[in-house]
Amino acid sequence: MARFTRTTKKLAQRIDLQYFKRSSPFRRWRFLLSVGLTALAVVWLAWQTLARNNRAYSSGQMATAHSLLATQCAACHVSRTGVFREHATNQACLECHDGPLHHANQVFAPDCASCHVEHRGPVRLAATSDTNCTQCHGSLQAKGGSFSFAVDRNIEGFHSRHPEFAALRSGKGDSGTIRLNHSVHLRKLRVSPNGPEEIQLDCDDCHRTPGDKRPWRFGETPSDRDEAQLRTAAMEKPDPLRPNPTRAYMAPINYSKHCAACHLLQFDTKKRFTEGVPHGKQPREIHEFLMNKYQGHIANHPADLRTIPMPDQNLTGKPASPLAQNLSPPQWVDEQVAEAEKILWRKTCNQCHTLSFPKGASLPEVAPPNIPVKWMLHAAFDHNAHRMMTCTSCHAGATTSQLTSDVLLPGIQNCRQCHRPVLDAAESRCFECHTYHDWSKEKPVKGRFTSQELLHGIATFPQPRDAEPGQR
Amino acid sequence: MLIDETHKKWRDFSLVFLLVATAFYCWYPMRPPQGRNGGSAVGIAFGIIGSAFMVFAGLLGARKKFPVWRLGPAQTWMRGHLWLGLLSLPLILFHGAFRFGGTLTTVLMVLLVIVIVSGVFGAVLQHYMPRMMTREVPLETIFEQIDSVRAQLLEEADKSVAAVCGPLGVMAVGSRKLPAGGYSERGGATPAAAAAATPALALTEEDSAPLRSFYLRQMRPHLEKPGAGDHPLADPGKASGIFEELRKRVPPMVQETVEDLEDICEEERQLRRQARLHHWLHGWLLLHIPVSLALLVLGAVHAYKALRF
Amino acid sequence: MSPNALVELTIDGKRVSVPAGTTVFDAARMNGISIPTLCHQQNETPVGVCRVCVVDVGRPIYAASCVRPVEPGLVVTTNSDKVIQARRTLLELLMSDHPTPCLRQQHSRDCELEALAKQAGITQPRFARRTVAHGNDDSSLAIAVNFDACILCDRCIRGCNEVRGNFVLGRMGKGAQAGIAFDHNLQMGDSSCVSCGECMVSCPTGALTNKKTLPIDVGPDHSAKIAEPDELLQLPVFKGVSGTFLELNKGAIVRRQFRRGEIICKEGEYGSTAFYILEGKSQVSIRSPIAHVKTQDTARGFLSKMVSTLARRKEHPREEEANRRHIPIDAPADLAYENPVAEMGPGDLFGEMTCMSFYPRSATVRALTDCTMYEMNRNVLDILQRNKTFKERLDSTYRERALSNHLRGVPIFAEITDDFLDHLRKTVELVRYAPGQVICKQDDPARSFYLVRIGFVKVSETYPGGELVLAYLSRGNYFGEIGLLGGGMRTATCTALDHVEVVRINGEDFKQMIERFPQIRRGLEAAAQERLQQNRDRLAIVRSVPLDHFLAQGLMEAQSLLILDLEKCTRCDACVRACADAHNGVTRLVREGLRFDKYLVATSCRQCRDPLCMVGCPVGSIRRRNSLEVIIEDWCIGCGLCAKNCPYGNINLHPFEVMEDDPIQPRRKMAVVKQKATSCDLCSDTKYKEPSCVYACPHDAAHRVDPTTFFADKLGQAPGLTLKR
Repeated sequence: MARFTRTTKKLAQRIDLQYFKRSSPFRRWRFLLSVGLTALAVVWLAWQTLARNNRAYSSGQMATAHSLLATQCAACHVSRTGVFREHATNQACLECHDGPLHHANQVFAPDCASCHVEHRGPVRLAATSDTNCTQCHGSLQAKGGSFSFAVDRNIEGFHSRHPEFAALRSGKGDSGTIRLNHSVHLRKLRVSPNGPEEIQLDCDDCHRTPGDKRPWRFGETPSDRDEAQLRTAAMEKPDPLRPNPTRAYMAPINYSKHCAACHLLQFDTKKRFTEGVPHGKQPREIHEFLMNKYQGHIANHPADLRTIPMPDQNLTGKPASPLAQNLSPPQWVDEQVAEAEKILWRKTCNQCHTLSFPKGASLPEVAPPNIPVKWMLHAAFDHNAHRMMTCTSCHAGATTSQLTSDVLLPGIQNCRQCHRPVLDAAESRCFECHTYHDWSKEKPVKGRFTSQELLHGIATFPQPRDAEPGQR
Repeated sequence: MLIDETHKKWRDFSLVFLLVATAFYCWYPMRPPQGRNGGSAVGIAFGIIGSAFMVFAGLLGARKKFPVWRLGPAQTWMRGHLWLGLLSLPLILFHGAFRFGGTLTTVLMVLLVIVIVSGVFGAVLQHYMPRMMTREVPLETIFEQIDSVRAQLLEEADKSVAAVCGPLGVMAVGSRKLPAGGYSERGGATPAAAAAATPALALTEEDSAPLRSFYLRQMRPHLEKPGAGDHPLADPGKASGIFEELRKRVPPMVQETVEDLEDICEEERQLRRQARLHHWLHGWLLLHIPVSLALLVLGAVHAYKALRF
Repeated sequence: MSPNALVELTIDGKRVSVPAGTTVFDAARMNGISIPTLCHQQNETPVGVCRVCVVDVGRPIYAASCVRPVEPGLVVTTNSDKVIQARRTLLELLMSDHPTPCLRQQHSRDCELEALAKQAGITQPRFARRTVAHGNDDSSLAIAVNFDACILCDRCIRGCNEVRGNFVLGRMGKGAQAGIAFDHNLQMGDSSCVSCGECMVSCPTGALTNKKTLPIDVGPDHSAKIAEPDELLQLPVFKGVSGTFLELNKGAIVRRQFRRGEIICKEGEYGSTAFYILEGKSQVSIRSPIAHVKTQDTARGFLSKMVSTLARRKEHPREEEANRRHIPIDAPADLAYENPVAEMGPGDLFGEMTCMSFYPRSATVRALTDCTMYEMNRNVLDILQRNKTFKERLDSTYRERALSNHLRGVPIFAEITDDFLDHLRKTVELVRYAPGQVICKQDDPARSFYLVRIGFVKVSETYPGGELVLAYLSRGNYFGEIGLLGGGMRTATCTALDHVEVVRINGEDFKQMIERFPQIRRGLEAAAQERLQQNRDRLAIVRSVPLDHFLAQGLMEAQSLLILDLEKCTRCDACVRACADAHNGVTRLVREGLRFDKYLVATSCRQCRDPLCMVGCPVGSIRRRNSLEVIIEDWCIGCGLCAKNCPYGNINLHPFEVMEDDPIQPRRKMAVVKQKATSCDLCSDTKYKEPSCVYACPHDAAHRVDPTTFFADKLGQAPGLTLKR
């Protein structure tokens, strides 16, 4: 016989009917942990509050530029009487930043914080989302309904429905007047400035950004003065896109650095002078330079009044010209100057410059070079940022281009190869090239915080005032 | 709870809900300028729905405190708890656009992940453990009463040995307090009446010696000390060997007693196993419940602060 | 040979003639020749096992006279030397194992074996004693068992089985291990023995002996004294009782004086004595609140909380309940529901059920005037009840005072007119049955209609392969109508479960009654139809469920089981908490029990078809609703017997604090805890369909199901069962 037959009743009677009312270790622990952990959470928050530390409530790390404000919630979150929500206001931003308006006739001006989203970690606040732009440019409206420029009014992003660059779209060609055959310059040359020698010119023998301090391969060594000159030359107009352009654009081509080594401005067929005509002068000054040169020469070499043709110049079999002419020195000078000018206007200058010969004028007029510094007027491009690439990978037309009017600006498709809205691709959002704020209209900001305030708390905040019109 | 065919509606609802939410999540940054953001209208909507689900899931605990309130069957709440609680994770991830944000929100996210992971762990346990317990512990009793039942087993063992060996001279076993509402009120035979103090089947000193010494030296200390798992009697294989040995050494009259003792050891082993399984089956709650409480408290603070700023 | 033909034979040289078929033993006895015997008794079938009655019938082998029928011309010798020698050897063999002197010899010096041995002059048996002791069984309260003294004469077995029909005793073992056994060798106290004492009366030796009843505790109170037999014999109710018997049981009856206002017995207490009022008046009342436990919502709407309160049936009527106007108690008077107080005077006997069947007291008795009473143990009460004078008095008291209430208390008989009652008064008969006695047997002709007055009657039906209990009838129930209304044959067997007293109305009166009161006929017929239908349904279920375990766990009996799917249940106890919450912190559910298949059959009321809990309720307050759900009526006195009787441990007591008169400071009230029995009410008093436990199970594990439909496929396939031992 087993100890007992198990029956429901015997089993049930082993059980104390009040057992569930008593605490068991498991329930006790569950209760203690529940209370304990909740209390811990509350204590943590209370401690944060007592320590006047609001960092815990931050919805994310501040952008680097604002990291000082991480504990100064009130700097941006302005408390207003009767309003529960304390969003960051435009006015708070405008205390430190001027945000010039985009366009005079834009129909809608967003709040600062709607584009520059804070608490997203140490990111560039300027790196705004495309949707910020497409909310207007997706179906562009303008005050009065007229646009100052013809653009696509339904842009979705760089990757989609962005128009081709204006310079290419118009089909006008390069506005420059300097004749340059890129393909000739990029072929192998058999003569170098130093004599017969095979050389290959490279793009950066002529095209460099202003900050590049390497010596020119065939030109003068750049000096600080040169650079400053170049910079101002490059940025002769204020750039609305960048308050402080640095090395974004190629410096303009400079004759003495880029051309002079090969292209000596010779004017005298008899090689009586080692120097050429000075570059960058108007024809009148060139004429005076020539007069001076020849007058000086004839004064020192009166024998040259008679010109004897070189025997070796008579190889054609033509009857020789009168062998001797006697000319007065002024006559000689005129003759020589006319000769030199003939060379210059027909050949030396004309090789690159476009000269026109107005009727009745003794001297030609030189057309201004008119070489565009910036091709994309409403977008920023930084050559320096692309320095890891070969020039021809984008400017592929350079090796074959023969005409000045060829636009060597690569098309948008070229950019899109890398700038794509996918992972592991170059940035393709609007802000990469475009800027909302028209920095040309920037006004100075007058600082009002002390360092103590920024470090230990901004006690007061000016009462809201109406944002000045256009100051967003 | 067991997720079976009865969950079909909930499962389908959750899947559809998740798909719709995901579609919405993918679609919504097309419109507002800030992109995916907890503060945007859709972000807040995700947050509200997600936290509503969490609160609902948390209310299961409160619901259990008032089991007779007819607020819908507990199993409906449990189903909601499982599915909506699970849904709250993607919804909150959508709310935060997969960013953890600041300290508080990071803490919240960590807590939520702990809660969901422990909950899923618990649900998985609830799929396997009850079956395991049913299979391995046929003699199971109520977990809270294991100690009391074990004491009763000891008492029973004492009595059956005393019945053949005479008084054992160990501490009187009647010292266990009868709980209120126990036998007397429920019409059970009082256990004391079951066995008389005088042995019905007295053995000579010599015959009873092996049984007595086995019981006093080995089995009784084992029964008295709960939790000592290294005792040979705690191992079914060793125990059956020990009892086989004992059976050879005792007279045939007490074979029954030996059998009883073996049964008692078996039951004790099963109870021990039950306690262990029970700890597994319910232990995760020690993490799940406190953390979810903290999550709800901090979540409320977060909601207040986030709506304000 | 015709059965009445006489047979002539010679016994010890004397020619005698006896009816054919008589045994030699009886033939000798009829003619004044006594043959010693041990195993044979007049009222039992002869079996011839002891062989002490051997006689020489002229054949090579001696015959046992108790089983040897007479033959014409048979020559019998009962006392030759050879026969005596053979008998002596037999006695010597029996004596060698007999513990001399045995208990019977010690107590009353009437051990038959020892007497015969003494006669034969046996002092020191020549044979070796048996070495292994068979032991004692001291578990019965009434009878001491010493297996060593047993001579395997089977008189007790025949007494138990044939005379009483209890079928408790039987034989077990073989050879030296042979012995008598109760049920399947259980302890007598644990067995189904009803302690009728028949075996003890039958036993020739000290194997089964009367345990001397403990004398009633007189205590230091001088008002009580042990009643002397002489004094008792003066009373008419003890007329004809043997003084020796009273002397033997001295101390089992005590004369007590009670002062006015004194409490004689309290309801719900356990006792073992009955009281006979000699002088004075006393008041019998139920002091428990007459109300049942009602679980209800406190408020409307979602946030309702359930509480248990006590409600009277007026406030919270349940099926059929408003009809019952009287509360049956263990006294000659029934109590009115509205005012449960009655008076008893000299000559009344109360506490019979407590005394005979050890049920708890059903009511509180308080002395109205100074009283003198006899308090007696069951053996004395038994004497009383067997006494003709007393029985007549009881009958007349019953007829005069209780019959009308009793009959009209049964809803169907409510409209019986007074003149018919007067007629019935003359003809009804109070009949007493001992435990296990069959009142009427299946397929016997139906002759009477019965109303239960005291005790419990089991109605059962035999079917191939077993017996099925159809109902337990308690006080106020009636039976026997189906046979009378229908084909005139009994459809079921009715057996007294304990000491039963029934009111018998003979068939003629019954027929008259139903003719005069067609409404009663209709009511009875409807009830009979319902009973028959229920019985058929149950039998159908039994036949369709062949599964042992299912039956063994009593699951077939259940109408509704709370089962927990163990593959889903996480053992979180939500069900138990919900139950406790719904019932004022008293759980009516224990999450422990046996398993069936993958389900735990939790300990919670199963609403058995065979509600054992109803057996023994001293006030008959536990009953079944028409929906067969077990409910507890308003007059529950909280004695806890139903909880004890429930085989599954499903009934618990729910304590309530009620205000009561302070006995020390009159006119003050004090809080007293009163118990009310409760079992699972399925939370049905609320407006909800699901019980709280099922509702609160978060894991879809708990279900309330009808086992026969729920397990139908399981039962059909009879899969491997995972059962605890």
